Amino acid sequence: MKRRTFVAAAASLPAVGILSGAARAQSREIRMIESGGASGDSIQVGYIDPLKAKTGINVVRESPSSLGKLRALVESGQTSTTLFELGSSVMVQAKKLGLIEKIDWDAVKPAAMFPEAKNEYGFGYQYFSTIMAWKAGQKEPKSWAEFFDTKAFPGKRCLPDYPHYCLGFAAQAAGVPIDKLFPLDVDLAFKKLNEIKKDVSVWWKAGAQPPQLLKDNEVQYVICWSGRVVGDPAFGMNFAGGKADLSYFGIVKNSKPEDKAAAYKLMHEMSLPENQAKAAGVISYTGPSPELDALLPKDKLWQFPTSKQNKAVQYFEDAEWWAANGEAVNKKWEAFKLSL
Amino acid sequence: MNLSSRSTGFSFIAPLLVLMVVAFNLPILYMLGLAFWEKGQGFTLDHYRGLAEAPVYLRVLGNTMRISLIATIANVAIGYPLAHWMRGLPNRARLIAIALVVLPFWVSILVRTYAWIVVLGNGGLVNRSLQWLGLTDAPVQFLYNELGVTIGMANVLLPFLVLPLFAAMIRIDDRLLQAAASLGAPPRTIFWKVYFPLTLPALAAGALLVFILCLGFYVTPAILGGGRVPMISNLLDTLINQIPRWEQASAISTILLLVTLLIFAAYRRLDRKASA
Repeated sequence: MKRRTFVAAAASLPAVGILSGAARAQSREIRMIESGGASGDSIQVGYIDPLKAKTGINVVRESPSSLGKLRALVESGQTSTTLFELGSSVMVQAKKLGLIEKIDWDAVKPAAMFPEAKNEYGFGYQYFSTIMAWKAGQKEPKSWAEFFDTKAFPGKRCLPDYPHYCLGFAAQAAGVPIDKLFPLDVDLAFKKLNEIKKDVSVWWKAGAQPPQLLKDNEVQYVICWSGRVVGDPAFGMNFAGGKADLSYFGIVKNSKPEDKAAAYKLMHEMSLPENQAKAAGVISYTGPSPELDALLPKDKLWQFPTSKQNKAVQYFEDAEWWAANGEAVNKKWEAFKLSL
Repeated sequence: MNLSSRSTGFSFIAPLLVLMVVAFNLPILYMLGLAFWEKGQGFTLDHYRGLAEAPVYLRVLGNTMRISLIATIANVAIGYPLAHWMRGLPNRARLIAIALVVLPFWVSILVRTYAWIVVLGNGGLVNRSLQWLGLTDAPVQFLYNELGVTIGMANVLLPFLVLPLFAAMIRIDDRLLQAAASLGAPPRTIFWKVYFPLTLPALAAGALLVFILCLGFYVTPAILGGGRVPMISNLLDTLINQIPRWEQASAISTILLLVTLLIFAAYRRLDRKASA
């Protein structure tokens, strides 16, 4: 140990003592339910490990996170899980159903954050993009109109089996300008999907499927999450017309106050740009700090959902619209799937 | 068996009975009840009305029935000749054949389903062999359609048909067939007039069992169907996990349960005939 680090460590000892004294009213361990995969690892490395180093509080991760699970947690009256990861429209739905609590932002004391990430009911911790990608060497589409043009761009497609990851792109392919997507013209979007459906081999449910199907040469063009394909030379991709979205952490309704106090501490860690940079090293998704870009490797900026050049060409998910219309659209989606 | 030994027998199974009632039957009743209940409103039939208004859910149920029927027919087409062939094997070979039929039971259904991707994919064993032999130019699309789902489901469920069928077949007395032959019946007549009718109850019972199991299949259609083959269990997953509209899911489940019970009642009748 160098002398200087030793001195610094010794100086910080009393501080740790004070902190743990203040922390007596809070839990030493809380549980979260997150979406799993590399994203979960990024939470561990970026936020949980630093929290543990600073405060000794441990966070146990579980996955996957579905709204049904949250409803079951709350309705059964159980309080073991404090933090729950929710997609943007799912967060609005959870709020409507009364499954999550307001966040006490004064207790979180966050560093600077993008405004949409600082929601009354959710901490927006991770931006991710849904984009077009293809097997390297394929003819490269520049827009959704080209992606949906199976004559000029021959090859099998793999599309998400979720309407909110498909219809916005289909509407763009049908000619809707990107800044006028919402309220979404659902019928027009389905009309476009009907044109392409015979060329869609697989409708994916799990984010790992599209890159694997590209590698197996089962399909040549996919719509997928950016973090699954960027940085791999086997794939080409384009953020143009893509969808930027934000994943939130909410506080499960009726959580114990001491668990909430610990959860707010984790949220504080999540707001720090240096931690977000660590998380972005595990998966190419970015946190909500406006200062984050400066901490990311320059040569990799093009891979991230919120870097300037990418943010400018994508649209942002309209969570309120989906929360209001999601169920009706879903019925149409099931009917569409029956027509395949 | 006298009365007192019967009651001791009951006390032995009582713990299991209690466990089944508390951990399985009551939750199922609660689940079925969900469809008739709305918070703050009490009893309601809205969720069933919702089903009638959104025929898409019922159409998915219809689609599930159709696929299950196809998979059952495929199972019968493969399973019957297989069981018949096994009956004719010498004892030792018969044991090996049974082991081979049962073996897939020991492998996780997930692994078996993914194995089909390796075998039947565009760059898979079958397609590469076909192209190497010059039989096809482009890969044949086996997967991510109803064909893939049918193959996968037939593979998983084959033992459920073959084993009871085989058991019924080896019970058939060879002397019956010899008697028919000695009376001058040609082999085909013996098969259709004597052998087949004797196996029919077991065949019907096995086929119904396979059909019922098909109705609730989730993993195989999800993986081998490529999202193109909507089945009721995948729809229920969406309604329970994503939306989450448990009441609607409960109404659909109730209808599925009723259909399954009806088929099961038919199965019981046939099964009783088969074992009689």
